[in-house]
Amino acid sequence: MKLKIFLVVILFSRFCATAQNQEKLFEQSYDLLNSMLLNGNTYSFKKAVFSAENAYLSNKLDTVLINKKIKTLKNLSYSILNSKTLEYSERDKEIVNKRASIFAIMCDTIPINFNGRILKYEPFGYDFTDVFGQSTKENLFVSKLLNTRKGNCHSLPYLYKILAEEIGIEAHLALAPNHVYIKHKSIKEGWYNTELTSGIFPIDAWIMASGFVHIDAITNGVYMKALNNRESIALVLIDLADNYKTIFPKNDGEFILKCCETAIKEYPNFATALILKAETYKKQIEKETNTEKHDDFLKDLEKQYAFIHKIGYRNMPKDMYLSWLVSLKTERNKYENKKLNIFDKK
Amino acid sequence: MKILILLLLPLFVFAQVNLPTVPQPSQISSYSNQNYSNPSNQNILLNSTNQYFDTDKQKQQKQHQQIIGEVEQYEKLQAETLSQINQDINEINYNNQFDLPSLANKKGTEYYRNTFDKMLKLNIENYSIKNVNFDIENAYLENREDKAEFDKIVKQSGEFIIAKMKELKYDTNSNSAKNFMLFEFFSETLQLKSNGLKHFPIKYDFDDFWGKKDWSKMFVTKLLKTQTGQCHSMPLLYLTLAEEIGAEAYLSLSPNHSYIKFQDENEKWYNLELTNGMLTVSSFIFNSGFIRAEAMQNKIYMQNLSKKELLSQFYVDLASGYLHKFGYDDFVEKAVNKALELYPNNINANMVKANYNNERLIYALTQLKINPKKKEDIERIGNYPEVVELFKIRNKQYQIIDDLGFQEMSIEAYENWLSSLKETKNKLDNDNLKKQVKGLIIKKARN
Repeated sequence: MKLKIFLVVILFSRFCATAQNQEKLFEQSYDLLNSMLLNGNTYSFKKAVFSAENAYLSNKLDTVLINKKIKTLKNLSYSILNSKTLEYSERDKEIVNKRASIFAIMCDTIPINFNGRILKYEPFGYDFTDVFGQSTKENLFVSKLLNTRKGNCHSLPYLYKILAEEIGIEAHLALAPNHVYIKHKSIKEGWYNTELTSGIFPIDAWIMASGFVHIDAITNGVYMKALNNRESIALVLIDLADNYKTIFPKNDGEFILKCCETAIKEYPNFATALILKAETYKKQIEKETNTEKHDDFLKDLEKQYAFIHKIGYRNMPKDMYLSWLVSLKTERNKYENKKLNIFDKK
Repeated sequence: MKILILLLLPLFVFAQVNLPTVPQPSQISSYSNQNYSNPSNQNILLNSTNQYFDTDKQKQQKQHQQIIGEVEQYEKLQAETLSQINQDINEINYNNQFDLPSLANKKGTEYYRNTFDKMLKLNIENYSIKNVNFDIENAYLENREDKAEFDKIVKQSGEFIIAKMKELKYDTNSNSAKNFMLFEFFSETLQLKSNGLKHFPIKYDFDDFWGKKDWSKMFVTKLLKTQTGQCHSMPLLYLTLAEEIGAEAYLSLSPNHSYIKFQDENEKWYNLELTNGMLTVSSFIFNSGFIRAEAMQNKIYMQNLSKKELLSQFYVDLASGYLHKFGYDDFVEKAVNKALELYPNNINANMVKANYNNERLIYALTQLKINPKKKEDIERIGNYPEVVELFKIRNKQYQIIDDLGFQEMSIEAYENWLSSLKETKNKLDNDNLKKQVKGLIIKKARN
């Protein structure tokens, strides 16, 4: 009997130790992300993303393997660059060609000459199961995308941005309701969108057609804004907070609020961060016993929700998301940016 | 520049008078040379040298040296003065050469200058839309329009709208009721029961709707005469009448287009498309496909323009009328700069400025007989720093427009978009919105 109790105690303490260790990992990840914001020189989107994934995976992310895979893709991008060029002659053609090489890696089947044998490179695919990472957050991860070669609107644009930075160009993430895509600017076309889930360059009207983008949300940059690197880190901060919430469902909210505050400071109209903050705040209020304080908090919460509404955010029911996403393929003619057919391979 | 020349003039004169008195060293050494430019002067010198010729040869040589030194100094001064003068003259020529010639002496431009001066005196937050717009149109029409007649029509129209509202028992203090009635005035046939007075809807004029052939097609005065208008004159008449009956409404821009926005008592915004007489949803305007997210973020389209921003737009109208009638000169620049001062992101003002900068560059290139399409010609531009500067200024303005998120919309795309309003979905949107506003008004009227 004594032995049994002893064993239970030992097991329990071990469990506590791992939980504590994992909490530490989240703190470390936060510190890393925050340091990137404080000192721009340490910025690396790759490091940011994988630190948030590693915290969730309790330090089990095989970074060596991940880096090796990314390096392979980087080399592939260079060999694509050497083998074909676009019909594009503006001053920024080098950059535009680099973008096209990453796009090809993400969305095209590429024949590769390997020791005299022609192999087929298969592009990354779209995974229709659990696009919101509800069963497990791992479904949203870039590491999962690299391992299974299937991803969604979260992991695909993230990988795109990582690869872009690997070959020395910029890529801007942009938001739509429940969605992330890529924005680029070229001398010839100005700003244009790159949609990786379907491999199409859609016009802005497509994003509007989701039906849940209020015009104010565009004006205020809630959606469709080309996010800079700092704002992209804000996105990862909220990913980190979400991961934390999943691992520690009974948390006191402090870590999440910290992530939210830092993210909002960088990107004040970041709807997801504002909502997560309000929701976490709401949970904390429920525990408040002092009625006077409770009422004050409630008033503050109302203000928060009013702000979210004011900047143009409207909730999009999740089941509407997929039908909208698919509309780009079914109504391709309507939403495709036809001026960008220069990207079609020569 | 003129002052500089005047200041230099004495120097120039001084140099010219004195220089010939000093002979060149070579001239002294060879007395036999009779090719003197100014024999009388030369004689004086010859006399003076002769005086010492016999007495002291060394002394003579010393003097010789002295004279050479003096001459060299004079020469240096002369060269400096001349080069400075040449530089100034060149600069003057450059400026004259590359500046667009002023059109101020053309008959009719004085009306524009007068209107511009009048507009400068306006209170930017509070001015009469009716009067400003009339003045701008009348500058083009060389004051041929009768203001009293125009005022009368506006007044009668205002009275008609108010009378109709009273007849329908609408609340004449309600902004949405006034705007709704005004909208009906544009789009429906209205008749007063009391005196049988009838007003027919204002029709869209499909002919030359961008005023390319005849700029006055864009005018409110033209609309009132023909009862047909387009996307420029219809919203402006709307604003004029709104001012008349005390309704609050705003002009709003979209690519190549303008329309009306107003807010109801619940702070909900409505878009009025007067060219088709329909209420539209914002997404319809955005989905024309020619509005980028960046254009929205920079607030160049779909905003309700404040009075100040609207005045900026009026300056653009003034500049546009002028350039259609006379062409580009510094008046266009002056008007457009004023517009940008009031509303820096005004896309139309930025475009006119870009066109002006482009015209200026083309003019300079034509003066130099440089064909921008020829490569070897283009290389010559580098010799003229002023023209290089014009190039930079133009490209910078193009960059501003790109950064604002502007996207070109062709006339076909524009027509297709406007006619797509007749599609079922937009008709349904229109019906729903109309019911909404009407419901609001009637509910109010019953209370």
